[in-house]
Amino acid sequence: MRLPRFLRTTSFRLTLLYAGLFCASVLLLFGAIFWFGTGYVADQIDRSVSNEISEISAHAAVEGPDGFRQTVALYVKDAPAGVYYLLQDVSGRVLAGNIPAMDPIMGLRSWPRRKDGGNFPVGRHGVRGRGVSTAEGTYLFVGLDSVELDRMRALIAKAFLWGLAATIALALLGGTVMSLGLLRRVEAISQTSRRIVAGDLNRRIPMHGTNDEFDHLAASLNTMLDRIQGLMEGLQQVSSDIAHDLRTPLSRLRQRLELARRRAHSVDELHDALDSSILDVNAILETFAALLRIAQIEAHTHAVGLAPIDLSDMLGGMIDTYQSVAEERGQKLCGEIAPGLTISGDRELLPQLFSNLIENAMRHCAEGTTIVLRAACAATGIEVLVSDNGPGIPAALREKVFQRFFRLEHSRTTEGTGLGLTLARAIASLHGATMQLSDNQPGLRVQTIFPGEK
Amino acid sequence: MKILLIEDDVETADYIAQGLTEEGHVLRSFADGRDGLFSIKGEEWDLVIVDRMVPGMDGLNVVKALRCAKVKTPVLFLTALGGVGDRVNGLNAGGDDYLVKPFAFAELVARVNALGRRSHTIAAETVLRVGDLEMNLLNRAVTRNTVPIPLQPREFRLLEYLMRHAGKIVTRTMLLEHVWDFHFDPKTSVVETHISRLRAKLNRDEAPELIHTMRGAGYSLHAPS
Repeated sequence: MRLPRFLRTTSFRLTLLYAGLFCASVLLLFGAIFWFGTGYVADQIDRSVSNEISEISAHAAVEGPDGFRQTVALYVKDAPAGVYYLLQDVSGRVLAGNIPAMDPIMGLRSWPRRKDGGNFPVGRHGVRGRGVSTAEGTYLFVGLDSVELDRMRALIAKAFLWGLAATIALALLGGTVMSLGLLRRVEAISQTSRRIVAGDLNRRIPMHGTNDEFDHLAASLNTMLDRIQGLMEGLQQVSSDIAHDLRTPLSRLRQRLELARRRAHSVDELHDALDSSILDVNAILETFAALLRIAQIEAHTHAVGLAPIDLSDMLGGMIDTYQSVAEERGQKLCGEIAPGLTISGDRELLPQLFSNLIENAMRHCAEGTTIVLRAACAATGIEVLVSDNGPGIPAALREKVFQRFFRLEHSRTTEGTGLGLTLARAIASLHGATMQLSDNQPGLRVQTIFPGEK
Repeated sequence: MKILLIEDDVETADYIAQGLTEEGHVLRSFADGRDGLFSIKGEEWDLVIVDRMVPGMDGLNVVKALRCAKVKTPVLFLTALGGVGDRVNGLNAGGDDYLVKPFAFAELVARVNALGRRSHTIAAETVLRVGDLEMNLLNRAVTRNTVPIPLQPREFRLLEYLMRHAGKIVTRTMLLEHVWDFHFDPKTSVVETHISRLRAKLNRDEAPELIHTMRGAGYSLHAPS
C-alpha cells in the first residue's frame, strides 16, 4: 500500500522526528514535575506524622507510666478521618489505636492505594506513616491518609497523557500542514520542469514574492533556464546560420564547376576555373576553421595555459605590424600604449584578438580614417581600446555584431566570414575579459577590459 | 630528401606521396604509428612527417619516443586538430613544425624544404650572405653592395628569415608564424605590405630584385642569376 504523498515527503519525516523529540521532552518534563510534586506532598505528610509522634511522646511523658496508652486512646477518640494511630506491645497486642496490629517495623512506612481495599484494612486510600519504639518499649505507629498524594499522582498522570496527546496531535497536524505547503511549492517546480521536458521551453517557475528560500531557488532555476534557452537558441541559430552561410559559397562553387565543365575550351580555362574553385573551397574551409576555433575557445575553461604576457610589448608589435598596412590603405593607425602592462594570457590567441579588432576597423572604415589603439591601467583592470572615426555601428546592433555570421548591411559585400568579432569576444572571455562596443562620436570604440595581473 | 610519412588516411597519404615524389623526394609511408617508429629508428631519414592521429601509436607519442631515443631527424606534424594549444603540444613533444589540414600543397612543399637537413647547419653563422646582400647578426647591420640599409626590427626579422631560407620558397603562413608569431590568417595584407616595404629598401638605385614572388606559393630570396 502506498502512503499518501505528503506522508512520504522529507518534511513529514522530519515532522515525525520532531514529534518524537517533543514527546520525549514532554515525558522528561512531566517526570520532573511528578518527582518534585509528589516528593513535596510526601514530605508534608511525613512532617505532620513526625509532629504527631512528638506531641504524643511529650503528652505521654506528662501522663507518667502507661502514658502512651492513655494518650493514644485520647488521640484516637478525637482523630479526624484519615489519621491512624496504633500502639502495640512487644507481643503484638494492640494497646490502643484505630487500626489492627502490624509488623513492628521502624521508620517510614507506606501502603499504596488499593482499589479493592487491600491488605491495609483502613480503607481505599494509601497510607503513609512512621513506626517508632516508645520509651516504654512498645511500638507506636502514626499514619496519615495519603489521598492528597494519590490525587496528585493521578492528576499529573492525567495531565501528562493529555499533554502528550496534544503534542502528538499538534506535531502531526503542523507537520502535515507544513509538508503540504512545501509539497505545493515543490510540486510547482516539478510541474514546471515536466512542462519544459514536454517541450514548453518558455515555461518558468512561479515566484511567490515572499523572497523566501523557495523564491530564491525558483529565481536561480529560472536564470538557469533562461541561460540554457539562450544557449539552445544560439545553437539553433548557429546551425541554421552555418547551413545558410555555407550554402551560398557551395552553390557558387557548384555553378562555377558546372560552367567550366560546359564552357571551358582549353586546359588553361579549366585551370583557371579550378583555381577559383580552390579559392572558394578555401573560403569555406576557413569558415569551418573559424567556427571550430570559436567552439574550442568557448569550450575551454578559464585560465588554462595562461601565462604572464607583456601586453604593452604585444600591442606595440601590433602597431608596428599594422601601421604600414594602414598607410597602404590610406588610413592612419596610432597607438597610446602605457608601458609595463602585464596580463595573464594565451600567447597565440591574444594577437588574433587584437588583430581582428584592428583589421575590422581598417576594413569597415573608408580611406582617411584614423584608428587609435590605446591601452592603460583602469580601475577595473587593464583597458584596451580600439577606436576609429569611421561609420560606427548603430546602438541597437552593437550586441548583435558579436553573433556568429552577423554582418552589417553595408559590410555584406566586403570579404570576411562574419566571425571575427565572435572569435575576438570568445578569446576575451577565455581571458576573463569583457568586450563592449560604444560610440566613439563619430565611429566605433571597442573596449576590452582584462582583469589585472594577480 | 628521404622522407618517412606516417599517415593512416590512404587518400591523404597518396596525395602527399605523389606530390613530394614529383618534387624529387623519396618517400615511404606507414599507416601505423608503431611500424613507422620502428622504421625511423632502423634507418637514416632526412625528414619525418607524422599525422597527429594514427592508429597503433599516437603521433605525439611517436615523436616523443623518437626524441627520447636521441633521434634528431626533423619532424613535421600534420593535424586535423588545429585546436587551441595543439600546436604548442606538438612542438613541445619535439616536433619542428606543425601544419594544419587541410593545407595547400605548396605550403607542405615549402615547409618540407625548409626543414631539410641543410637548413639547420647555418644556425651558428654570424653573417648571412645572398649575392651582394649581407646581414651581420651580431651588430644587426644589413648592407647591400656595402651600402648600409637601415631596417626596422620587424623588417630585420623578415629579411633574416628569408635569408636563412635563401633559395627556398617560404609561404605567407611560414612568415606569419615565424616573423610575426601570428598563428591565424590576417584579413589584411600584412605580409605583402611588409615585403613590399622591404623590397623598396633593398632595391635602391635600380638594384636587381632579390625577393621574388612565387605565384600561389610564397616568396623566395635569391641572388639574380
